[in-house]
Amino acid sequence: MKKFDKHILKNGMVVLGEPMEQVQSVAFDFFLPAGAAQLPNGCCGASSIIADWIFRGAGKNDSRQLSDALDSLGLHRATSVGSSHIIPGAILLADNLAKAIELYADVICRPQLKKEQFELSRQSAIDCVLALDDDPRAKVMLKLREQFYPDPLGRSTLGNVKDLNSLTAEKTGEIIKEKFELSQTIFAVAGKYDFAEICEQMEELFGGGEIKQQKKITIKPKQNKYTHIDNDGAQVHIGLMTKTVKPDDADYYNARIAVSVLSGSMSARLFTEVREKRGLCYAIGAKYHGLKDAAGIMCYAGTMPEKAQETLDVIMNEFNRLSEGISAEEIARAKVGLKSALILQSESSGSRATAIGSDYYVLGKIRGLDEIKAEIEKVNVDSVLGFLRKNKFREFSVVTIGPKKVKLYPSG
Amino acid sequence: MEFKKKILDNGLVIVGETNKAAKSAAVGFFVKTGSRDETQEISGVSHFLEHMLFKGTDKLSAAEVNESFDKTGAQFNAFTSEENTVFYAAVLPEYLEEITRLWSQLMRPALRDEDFNLEKNVIKEEIAMYKDMPSFDVMDRCRTLYFGEHPGGNSVLGSDESIDDLTAEQMRKYFASRYAPNNITLCCAGNFEWDLLCSIAEENCGYWKERTVERNVQNYGGIEKKQRIAKPNLSREHICLMSPAVAATDQRRFAASLLTSIIGDDTGSRFFWELVDKAIAETASMQFGPMDGTGAFYSYIRCSKENAAKAMAIVEDVFAGVAQKGVTKEELEKAKNKILSGLVIKNEVSMGRLVDLGFNWVYAKEYQPIEDDIKAVKVVTVDDIRALIEQFKPAHFTQFAIGPQ
Repeated sequence: MKKFDKHILKNGMVVLGEPMEQVQSVAFDFFLPAGAAQLPNGCCGASSIIADWIFRGAGKNDSRQLSDALDSLGLHRATSVGSSHIIPGAILLADNLAKAIELYADVICRPQLKKEQFELSRQSAIDCVLALDDDPRAKVMLKLREQFYPDPLGRSTLGNVKDLNSLTAEKTGEIIKEKFELSQTIFAVAGKYDFAEICEQMEELFGGGEIKQQKKITIKPKQNKYTHIDNDGAQVHIGLMTKTVKPDDADYYNARIAVSVLSGSMSARLFTEVREKRGLCYAIGAKYHGLKDAAGIMCYAGTMPEKAQETLDVIMNEFNRLSEGISAEEIARAKVGLKSALILQSESSGSRATAIGSDYYVLGKIRGLDEIKAEIEKVNVDSVLGFLRKNKFREFSVVTIGPKKVKLYPSG
Repeated sequence: MEFKKKILDNGLVIVGETNKAAKSAAVGFFVKTGSRDETQEISGVSHFLEHMLFKGTDKLSAAEVNESFDKTGAQFNAFTSEENTVFYAAVLPEYLEEITRLWSQLMRPALRDEDFNLEKNVIKEEIAMYKDMPSFDVMDRCRTLYFGEHPGGNSVLGSDESIDDLTAEQMRKYFASRYAPNNITLCCAGNFEWDLLCSIAEENCGYWKERTVERNVQNYGGIEKKQRIAKPNLSREHICLMSPAVAATDQRRFAASLLTSIIGDDTGSRFFWELVDKAIAETASMQFGPMDGTGAFYSYIRCSKENAAKAMAIVEDVFAGVAQKGVTKEELEKAKNKILSGLVIKNEVSMGRLVDLGFNWVYAKEYQPIEDDIKAVKVVTVDDIRALIEQFKPAHFTQFAIGPQ
């Protein structure tokens, strides 16, 4: 069985597939280059409106008919908005795939974009921003990304109320017209499917238009190191991020293993030092977060106000002492953890469709399971320490939400 | 797929569904104990005990336990609800033996005082974390209000006070009374060797002593109370509604799930069109929570404070509408398609299959292959749904709201 399928439509749109034995389901994602960082200035949140608005009627179907048609296919849909893309995706039983793609062609190429529906989409988007105040854990991570990444890469995918209020149906319609560029779109499918049939259908439904180049975005430098947002809640929610190598870097797997040593699982350092030895937190963890043009290690901890400073100090100490030494056992556990996670994830068609699409966007190719396993195998104590010493964690971007502030570098 | 079952002499039930083509295996111990089996003095002990199982045995320290898990690359964890405490892991087939041995040993924990005292801090942090999650907090408070004296409303986490007051000795006593082999099911799904699983269980769990374990499973008919509290730091109104529904073993549970999909699924449902599509609420969902001997319908609505009264009037209209006219055939068909595809997709992953397999056994003491679930969903009619609404009257709900001042 072939590992991956790839076909490029006449207009340049990329169609990718990963066939999976043993599943009855199929999942697909459209990567439309209209994410938060792609938006014109002053339009922060337009992606969030668009993700909703395009489903409020498309082709000949009004909002209700479209929703009924999708539901009748037993399709589970979700549209995510990221820094680079709006990603309408779905998972369903394989027999209904062709009908689903037909409906999505309407949504992407022929959304009705009625003005009265725009107002509802806008109101929903504003409400989502306001509701964030009641979810400090989610809010702290969103603010952290905004602060850490150079603008516009870290822009809030939900947007801000000021920009959302100033957007109009006309302006947002123009953004859709300009950014839903099929020649720059990636379609990824995983599960049970017939690739030849998909390609034929995709060419017919999406193959028109010319090849255009996506406009390059200008990335500005970042300054801000610490932000505190006052909230009279039960905990201080701490978000911390520091720079690391991008997914296409030769040291990518060294970075991933280093993060796993810090926070791969329960024997990793952050969990051991912060929770097991000191009982400072319930939720504590760090993960690699990579965009195409920048990447960081992102850490979250939630703790009661009187323990917030100690928690932050212990976390920063763990980051800083990582390059001093790592045992062979720690590396071995990190490697088996990463490999297992990959294989377990490969049972789910939904995970695979998203993974191959984003791989292709970030790296220009799909990494096969064997290739990734081989790369992980090459990692050892010396390679990780070498990487860490070459790429010291110099600066930390920190955001806290809660009743108490922390000091970033208390010891100077 | 092949189903296997064995009962050890001490009453421990082992059930498995083997799938040789799967890339992984998932294993879990399902202990039939939760907050409803606690008294007020030991409120939160089931959940705290779940944490303590990770702290090791007479032979293993907490650090050794964590390292042993991580050596296998397992995706593992545990959760506690009102009725169950489940310890599980999903692994590559070659690690299934190691991970099952490890869990089997941890099921007889040391429960050391020093670990207990340190972990109290973590439990209290977890309680604090959920206080900052009003969507969770409102459900918890609504459950307590709704169930009143019935144990179904006992808090899973307990309170700062109950955790402060709890002693390690009380926990040991609770453990001895609830973690008897005849109150535990060992369950496995995916690519694994049945005989090997049984021999590991025999070797590590065979010596556990059987004892009588009871639970109060009286039905609960529900009440209609309404309460609201204000929290100055909140910006939205969070509303939870609860009303009675069928129990976990009732064949009408499939109709109950379909009804909640028709009323409160996140796409195309009545709540969706009346509340979310019109931007009156950001979220409006309805779920069915089957329990031992009883069950409940839950709804959750989040909106601005200004829209709260309007949203609730619409919710009442939706409930009145289904009570008067029932649901349409088209609505039922859509709900069936969504639930059926969801069922197939969930069960394609070993971990998803483990949960269904385990809970079917815990509640119904029967093996329900996925084909049977599919059939049971397909045969539900609009009349079945009408009968369910007539009997359980979702319009008669208890309501709890948390919102800004």
